[in-house]
Amino acid sequence: MAGGLTYTAVESSKLSTSEIYGKTLCELGEKNPNIVALTADLKGSTKIGDFGDKFPERIFNVGIAEQNMYGVAAGLAKCGFIPFASSFSVFASLRALDQIHTDLCYQNLDVKIIGTHGGTSFGQAGSTHHAIEDFAVIRGLVNMTLICPADGIETGLAVRAAAATPGPFYIRINRGFDQVVYNTDDYGFEVGKAVVMNEGTDITVIACGACVYQAIQAAKILDYDHKIKVRVLNMHTLKPIDKEAILKAVNDTRRIITVEDHTVIGGLGSAVAEVVVESGKACAFRRLGLQDHFSAIGLHEDLMAMYEIDANGIVKNVLDIMKQDFEVNEDWSDEV
Amino acid sequence: MAMNVITQEDKYAAGIFFNAALPLLKVIAESEPKYGEKFKGKSFVFQVSAITGENGEKTATHFVVEDGVWNVFVNKVHDNPDLEFIFPNLRKFVIFFSGKGMPLPKIKGISKLGIFVPILLTLLRMAGLLQAKNPPQKDFDKELLVKLYFYLLSVGISQLNKMGHPEVKAFTEPSPDRAYAYAVIGYPELQAWLRIKAGNSKAGRGEYPRCKPFLTMKFDNTVHALDILMSKGDMIEYMKEGYLIIEGAPEFGGTLGSLMMLVGYYAQGQYLK
Repeated sequence: MAGGLTYTAVESSKLSTSEIYGKTLCELGEKNPNIVALTADLKGSTKIGDFGDKFPERIFNVGIAEQNMYGVAAGLAKCGFIPFASSFSVFASLRALDQIHTDLCYQNLDVKIIGTHGGTSFGQAGSTHHAIEDFAVIRGLVNMTLICPADGIETGLAVRAAAATPGPFYIRINRGFDQVVYNTDDYGFEVGKAVVMNEGTDITVIACGACVYQAIQAAKILDYDHKIKVRVLNMHTLKPIDKEAILKAVNDTRRIITVEDHTVIGGLGSAVAEVVVESGKACAFRRLGLQDHFSAIGLHEDLMAMYEIDANGIVKNVLDIMKQDFEVNEDWSDEV
Repeated sequence: MAMNVITQEDKYAAGIFFNAALPLLKVIAESEPKYGEKFKGKSFVFQVSAITGENGEKTATHFVVEDGVWNVFVNKVHDNPDLEFIFPNLRKFVIFFSGKGMPLPKIKGISKLGIFVPILLTLLRMAGLLQAKNPPQKDFDKELLVKLYFYLLSVGISQLNKMGHPEVKAFTEPSPDRAYAYAVIGYPELQAWLRIKAGNSKAGRGEYPRCKPFLTMKFDNTVHALDILMSKGDMIEYMKEGYLIIEGAPEFGGTLGSLMMLVGYYAQGQYLK
């Protein structure tokens, strides 16, 4: 057992990300009687059924009423509980935005929102069930911490960190089986600190969620086929963003591509761009994600390929940006 | 091979001497007070040239010294220098500066002893350092020689690229924007770099200012640096011992090493036999 979790890295590869969330919540619930779970009639889909079976008096199904769920969560938090409110990301973020804003964030309450089926991971359920704007909306909320873990192991760590840290959290996870990025949970996960997955000085690819695995694969392809050295950053925390890691990327590589399963407006790319622009330093920059349009319907893998946020799409864009000139009047005379 | 037939190899070697080695005179004058003082308060133009055409066309590097302050102009002929070493052709110029022989140049302005003597002494100092078979004993000389090598190698590779050397071009043309750097730990003044991008190249001095270099050849001290730069030590062995750290993309260290050897091949006139 690594790091105190009730599942191992080997087992985690057999569990979907949301199942790992459910198991972690059970583990936390055993240790802390103040942890409670809320659902808007998605107990099974968000994998908190085990928690309900173990602690039937600490789970509340408010029905298909997300606004109500957050109102109840706010009340429970005011009474000293730590509510974990789970729903599909698209509903968890957009449908009850006013309640998140006023009931949770304005009062800085200790409520943890777990949005499952994030990004386009609900594939064939279609555009109405894809969450492609949740980063943009949630990132703007005062007091909110926003995390998008790369895989199951990191989801467990993020949930544990959220339980241990006062204030509202939004953790966005995927629907199904994410590719395994981490084989161990002792790699030093820390809220607000990016993880270097691959070192390189040609370009930095900054990714979150399922795109981290794709970025790592792209880095391998780029090294093997093109001898291009890619730094890959797992920017699991979108807010507060790791400015230090971004500024280091600007200074070290001067080329950055962001990759997210989200619209390019307001999400990871925008968060990184804000830091880059404020640094005042020149940097070739590109945001990969959905380009201001609704998502199509299809398998998650196919959608990722379609929006060039899979390994091949990242490779294509890295090769393209490596050719990009972003400085004019270059002086090629040697210093003598 | 007839002496008057100038080969492409002569041109590459001459390019390195004119554009990478000769400018190091300025480094010596600026780094070593003993030599710098010889030019204090003096203003003159010194040129080294080689005849390249039947009508007296030449290739030259000249130095404009104003009140003891040096400026170098590579690939530029000055019409009326105060002191000029004129070689009859590129081959003899290379033979002279590589130490493979003593085909003396015609010297214009030799009577201006106040310029000629300090220039000659500085040239001899440079030759003494760069043509030495073993590292110098004094710490100051070690540091100066490392600096000279760093500058010579970075500019030398860049110049070979600019002259279209096929081996160097094969390296630079497909290259994205990358920098290769040399450094000695604990000596911030002992740094040089080479930037390459799509066939272009630029050599510079000091810390690379734009970003983290793609590769940095970092030595733990000047002794080990000179061992490698003077081909006295084995690069792999030194990496294993921690004397040489390749930061960045280590597999490119071999390529950089072979380009350094290429500069050495021309600078030592090895092709002359």
